[in-house]
This record gives sequence, structure tokens and C-alpha cells, in this order.
Amino acid sequence: MREETEVIVVGAGPSGLSVGACLRSRGISFEILERSGEVGSSWRNHYERLHLHTVQRFSALPGMPWPPGTPTYPSRAQMVAYLDAYARDFELHPRFGEDVRSARREDGGFVLRTEANEYHTRALVVATGYNRVPNIPTWPGEASFGGSILHSSRYKNGDPWRGKRVLVVGAGNSGAEIALDLWEHGAKPALSVRGPVHVVPRDLTGVPSQLSSLFLFSRLPPKVADAISLFALDRLLGDLTPYGFTRPKLGPISQVIVEKRIPLIDVGTLELVKQGQIDVVKDVRSFSPGEVHFVDGTTRPFDAVVLATGYRTGISDYFEDAEGWLDERGYPRYFGEPVPGAPGLFFIGFRNPLTGALHDIAVEAERVANYLAGEKR
Amino acid sequence: MAELDHWHPVLFADELGKKPAPVRVCDRELVVFRASNGQATLGALADVCPHRGMRLSEGRVEGGRLVCPYHGWSFAPDGEGKSPATPAARPCADAFEVVERYGLIWIKRRGVDAAFPALDVSGYHFIGKTRHRAEAPLEVTLDNFIEVEHTPEVHALLGYPRERMAEVTCEVTSTERSVRVYNEGPQKALPRPLYSLLQIETGDSFVDDWTTWFSPVYTVYDQYWFDPATGQRRPNALRIAIFFVPVTAGQTDIFALSYALAAPWERYGLNAFAYLLTRAFVVMELRRDVTLLGKLADKSPELRGRTLSRFDKPLGLARKRIESIYRGRG
Repeated sequence: MREETEVIVVGAGPSGLSVGACLRSRGISFEILERSGEVGSSWRNHYERLHLHTVQRFSALPGMPWPPGTPTYPSRAQMVAYLDAYARDFELHPRFGEDVRSARREDGGFVLRTEANEYHTRALVVATGYNRVPNIPTWPGEASFGGSILHSSRYKNGDPWRGKRVLVVGAGNSGAEIALDLWEHGAKPALSVRGPVHVVPRDLTGVPSQLSSLFLFSRLPPKVADAISLFALDRLLGDLTPYGFTRPKLGPISQVIVEKRIPLIDVGTLELVKQGQIDVVKDVRSFSPGEVHFVDGTTRPFDAVVLATGYRTGISDYFEDAEGWLDERGYPRYFGEPVPGAPGLFFIGFRNPLTGALHDIAVEAERVANYLAGEKR
Repeated sequence: MAELDHWHPVLFADELGKKPAPVRVCDRELVVFRASNGQATLGALADVCPHRGMRLSEGRVEGGRLVCPYHGWSFAPDGEGKSPATPAARPCADAFEVVERYGLIWIKRRGVDAAFPALDVSGYHFIGKTRHRAEAPLEVTLDNFIEVEHTPEVHALLGYPRERMAEVTCEVTSTERSVRVYNEGPQKALPRPLYSLLQIETGDSFVDDWTTWFSPVYTVYDQYWFDPATGQRRPNALRIAIFFVPVTAGQTDIFALSYALAAPWERYGLNAFAYLLTRAFVVMELRRDVTLLGKLADKSPELRGRTLSRFDKPLGLARKRIESIYRGRG
């Protein structure tokens, strides 16, 4: 079936829903296409222990504060309930099961194809998030390993792994928290740290790091902010090199701004690493039956491996000629503003600044809606 | 599984300094120590030297090892021992697993894969930790913490008014691993200034909703208020985790970790002041509980032959799970 619309929003996560709510309040007609059967599908599928790393007061979507009784860091389940309520209150009815297989520019607008339908739209908002496609690296000998190897997107909790030796590959936020979750469930986890990483406690002496970032670091030159934060981290955490964490050359604030990489926000893993409860190991080189070999020449036996190796946006998988708008890692170069040379095209929710992804989405959604309202007039 | 197969809190982390500390848990005497080699490693051993029976807690820590004060034999956190005078000897002390979390030192037996007690306090703000000792067995101590019928008599602030106890609802649900009790009723009258400090109103309903788990034995309480006319929740709530640790057959340590929903930096620091008071209230109310427990005439955990009330249903459910999960019998 062929449909003509004013605006298409792809994705019914926090970004897509926010844009929908902002468009509705400006009286602009739109359709939201969602490949799964529910809103916020990434949040539904994340591991159970996950909480927002950012403060709820600064993580609300446009037009709807978190309900009373919500803790400072809402849980995954609370986030899902919040997104359900958001869609309900703003009467957002995404078209579910509509997986955009291809998208291209045509005659100053856009043509999108799903399995059953073709959509012609004047404006397109891509809100598919940075969690669309799991990154699954491969290593020599993997097939012979024998134990299960699963991506973090399929990890729910540590219950099935009690008493098991589990290697978690990747020391991002998921990897570190999954290692902690495994330990709490009675497993014996090791964390494979693949490169240099900054470690920041979620709360700096009781105050959420997001608040310090919002009020201090976003107003200082990055070099100064780096120096202040490194000074504080040295005193709070000490030297982490003996535990296997090496520090990147770039400071934590610059890294967020220049490389768009957020630091490891520690929710308790570090305390267990320091006590020798969770081992930190090097990058994986290869597998053999029941064993993993590391780049430093060591070999250790494991029963299972969790790949906390992140995701990619997967935009270029379906969007023709999108490369020009994307950086080398596949993230859009333009946020909440018109893409040069592609009028009507917007990307939202693809960055994760220190001030928090949801805070950013809320700001961007209003801007995108304003641009679209301005164009209409 | 037996008692020590589960993680138990035994000390406040800030009580463990450079010196080894003796602890008693489940009728076992243990010594806990902190390595002095710059590492965060902890050790927990049976508090008796395998050589000639000296108390290791009388010794000292050197580097990562605990040294016996009698003949200078030394032991690593995993129990591996050295005898300076007999290098060929391979003594071995009875070692336990030990970890520091939530500001407490926890121990359990080696070689068993018990889960660490689940405590979701992400986004809650720490108010304080307390420890009280009840002169009563584990079951009898727990009983006091899983019914609200005693609150009008025993407590000053916590719980429900005596004259309206009949209105208090008590819903009990259970799974194989847990027992949950949901109580809802009118808030007991409080001194006037407390209402604004706690951000509640006169006539509010008070909910005391808790779940007891049995590996180890602990209860997590969610306490909050709402306006009965609108159902709207008040801004603050408390989450309190209480761990019940048998010291001997007739003594139980009660470790409480208290958290608040309202952030201390909100209301211009007034919440931080409310925290101080809340911490004092928790200490006061727990002291009332343990004082009362010490005065029981019959401390037998046996429930048969007793006349029980509508609030006592969780007691029997807890007994069964303590036997099967915590003590690993039957």
C-alpha cells in the first residue's frame, strides 16, 4: 500500500515518542513507524538490573515529569512504564511491526519501504537509536569453544550462571554492570577490558555525576573540566592501572565531546574488582574448547561468554547514500538540526553527552518539532 | 545449604581498620582482617591458629597476611599458612569468603555459590546503618519484624494507631523463595513539626510493604504515604533493608541499612536534616524492638500451641523457608 504523509518518525523509543509529542502539540500530522510490537523495545529487552545513569529530574521527556515516588535513578521497569504512559497520555499510536527495509530521497521528499507498505513523506525523523544492531565480533576458534556465547542484548540476569565462570567482553557500562550482576548471582565473572577507559563513579561523594556535569563541566572549557575531573577521580578512586584499567590519553570530558565516548559509569563493579572478586583480563585473542586465550598470552577456562560489545546505529543498512551524513562509526553528524543538503531530514537521539542522553533528546525533540513547524508555515 | 553458606553481614566496614577483628556468627568464631599491602583485599579465617589454638584475632596484619601472636605463623586470606621456624610445614587455616559492600563486611563459607542478597537501592539515598543485638533466636527475632500488630504498643512513631488497628489491611503473598506482606492503614498521629519535615499531611495513609528473603534471612521494607482521597503518593519514601544474623542459638544481630527516596540536596538541605532525624528514629524504634524481645518469657521458636492473630500468618510461612532455604533441611 502506498501512503502520503507530512512527517514520518522512524522508531518508537524515547526519541521517536518525544518528537511525536512535540509535533502533536504543534498540530503537525505525522506517523511513527516501529519495527517491534511495543514502544521502547530496547528498554524492554535490556538486562533487568539496568537503571538510568542520569537523574530523573533531568531525564524527563517533553511535557511529562516522572511520577511521584520515582527514585533518583529510575529502573529499567520504571522506564518502560514511563514510556507506556507517555505514549498513552500524548495519544501516540505508532504503526507496530513496520520495519523500514529501505529509505531514500526522492523529489525533495523521502520514500520508505517496509515489508507491506511504501511511505512517501515530505519530512523524515530518524529516531532508531544507537541500540539498533548488536555489535558481534568474532574470534578464531569460537565454534570449538563449547560454552554459550551471547550478546548482552540477550542477557537478562545472572540466575542461569550461578557457580559458572563467565567472561564478559567489553568494559562499557553494560559489561561492567553485567559482571557485577553475575557476581551477585553467585557466578565467577571476569571482565575483558579491551582498551583504555575512564572510570567515573555514578555519584561523586553523594552527588550524581550528571549534576556535576550539567552545572560545572558543560560551562567550562573541556581542558579545564578534564583537569578538575581527573584530579577528583585520582583522589576518589586512586590509581586503577594495577587492576587492569588504563587511562585514555584524552580526558573524560574531551572524550565525550571529541570522540562521543562516555566514560564507564561505575555502579559498584570497581569495589569488587579492587577486592579481587571480579578479575580484569585483557582483550580476547582466540577460543579453544572450554578456554579463552588473551592477547597477553594467558589462557583461562570459562563456561560462558557475554559479549558486551555494544551496538551500532545500522542507519546505512537501510538508508541509501546515508554515508555522507554519518561519521566513521555510523553515527549521524547532525543532531536536532536540518541535515545540510537534505531538507526535511532530521536525526535525533544518537549521542550520549555527559549531561545525559534523555536530557539531550528532550531538548532536540523540541528543536526538531520547531524546525518542522517553521517549514510548514 | 547450611547457615554459613549464605552471605552474612558481620561488621561495619569502618570498624575494620588495621587490626584484625573477631566476629561471632552462627556460633562460629571468626577473625576478619584487611590486607595492609595497599590492596583492598580482605581475609576471614576461623579465629584459631591450626598450630596450637591461639586466637588469630589477637595477632597482627603484615602485608597481605595475618600473623599469629603465639609463634609467628602467618596466613593468607585463602588460609595458606607459613611457619617461619619450620619452612617445610604447610599449615592451613579454615578460610571464609569475605567482601565489603554497602558499608558492611560480609562473609560466607568457601566453595558454595550463594547469590549475594538482592538490594535495589539505585536512585535511593543512603541515610545510615545501624546494628542491634536481640537476646532471642533468629525466628523469634524475625517474627517481630514481619507483623505490624505490635507497632501501637512498642513503637513511638512507626506503624498504626491503637484505636484503628482493626482498619489496617494485611495482605500476605508468598513464593518459594520469599514472603511479602502489604499493610495499609491510617498514619499514627505524629508531633506537629514532623509532618512538614516528612512531607506528609494529617489523615494520610501509611503503607508498610515488605518482602522477606531467606538466603540469608533479610527483609526489605518500602514505607510511604499517600493521600487517601486522591491516592496521590507523597514525595518521600523509605527503603530499609534489615539483615538477621544469628550470633548464637539465643542471640541475633540486626543490621539495618536505611535509604530515602527524597534526595538530600532537595528542599535546600532540609531533606538532609530529615535524614538525621530519620536515622535517629530508626535507632530508637529498633532499640524498642530488641529491648522487648529480651523480655520474652518463652523464646522457643515453636508456633504450635500458640493462639495466633490475623497478622501472624507470615510467621509460619517464614519458619518453613528458614528451615528449607536458610538451614537447608528437608
